[in-house]
Amino acid sequence: MNTSAPHSDELHAYVDGQLPAARRAEVEAWLAAHPDDAARVRGWKSDVEALRSAWGNPAALPAEPRLDPARIRRRLHAGRWTALARAAMLVLALGLGAGGGWLARDARDGYGTPPMADAMTAYRMLADQQVSMDFEGGRMGGLQGWLARNFNEAGRVPDLRSQGYALQGARMMSTPEGAAAMLVYEDGQGGMLGVYLRPRTQRMRDGERRDGGLMARYWGQGDTAIAVVSSRFDQRADAIAPLVRRGG
Amino acid sequence: MNPRPRHTPAIDTSPNPPRTVDVCAMDELDEDRLHALIPRMRQFARALTRDGTAADDLVQAALERALRAWSSRSKRDALQSWLFSILYRQFIDEQRRAKRWRRVLDVVGVADEPHAPSAERVNEGRDALAAFAQLPDEQRAILLLVGVEGFSYREVADTLEIPIGTVMSRLSRARDRLRRLSEGCAPTPALRILK
Repeated sequence: MNTSAPHSDELHAYVDGQLPAARRAEVEAWLAAHPDDAARVRGWKSDVEALRSAWGNPAALPAEPRLDPARIRRRLHAGRWTALARAAMLVLALGLGAGGGWLARDARDGYGTPPMADAMTAYRMLADQQVSMDFEGGRMGGLQGWLARNFNEAGRVPDLRSQGYALQGARMMSTPEGAAAMLVYEDGQGGMLGVYLRPRTQRMRDGERRDGGLMARYWGQGDTAIAVVSSRFDQRADAIAPLVRRGG
Repeated sequence: MNPRPRHTPAIDTSPNPPRTVDVCAMDELDEDRLHALIPRMRQFARALTRDGTAADDLVQAALERALRAWSSRSKRDALQSWLFSILYRQFIDEQRRAKRWRRVLDVVGVADEPHAPSAERVNEGRDALAAFAQLPDEQRAILLLVGVEGFSYREVADTLEIPIGTVMSRLSRARDRLRRLSEGCAPTPALRILK
């Protein structure tokens, strides 16, 4: 059989299995009669094999939580409104300096730090930074048990679907008062809301407090302090706080 | 004149047919496929950057770009080529920035290690992998897409945003160069006797 010499593109397509079957047979026949070219093609093939064995097993890579699309989305959402929060914070700071301390008096409650400042901090950490969730997606199962063990009666996972918020995950934290949890809810449109629980070791008045673009509504329930943290522009939080208080 | 081959490899590859799944189901499907593709993006990024941490930084930046553009993505584009092309563009952009920065450092007199690998470093390599690491960026990219990811030449052209003719000539140059480097890296006869 006398076959036409294959174009070099065809030799590559042969190596890559991208030649039609009929032509493939012809190229093979041609290679059998041309040992120099056959050696060249074998060399290419062995290089492909080497690359495949080195790079072809992505499953072996160590897990990298920061590449989780859900978390990246969360950060993209949060980023939008962290900028807003910063702007609001600046306005607040300027306002305090110029206009007197009504907010400061209201907020400080006689202590050095404003009440439930840790809830705000926890919220910002989860919204703003690369912090992984302890309970998330398929690993949500243990959450209810953990909350019940740590917060007894108050340790329930509120169901906020009636307000358009679905539970995304939860993160455990340690505070001077003991173990705390931040439950993260999202509304699917970039809105995020946190329910924060931690042990209550000192008297605390129920109340609400603005901090930058954030609003926390908080109260005590038995030995547990609870805060609903949201964007201060999120009207739904008005209805959500009593809902959480009643146990979702 | 060099006649076009009768069977150009491109003939084999057709673009994905338009899909007619409803948008919601599509999104869920895409979400699963996105998850499945991340390890492969990481692998591609490793081949480009030759460094695990830099590679994951690159993947993260690419995912951010991709998720921001998610809704504007044409559903007819294959997800993998779309993601890989974002990653590649991100890599090229970063390389350009880095190069500009090196120039600035040169101008202000801060010494920087030479970027091109020395001949010695090439010879230290023992296998095709060491040789692979010495190839220029665009050649590593094409060898990985074709050889490891099994992209069709058409998909490679789309991903790297180059004409199919350039895909073929670049592939050819990359393979020949890798071959020469690998052969240069083979153990010397003396080493073989000692073993």
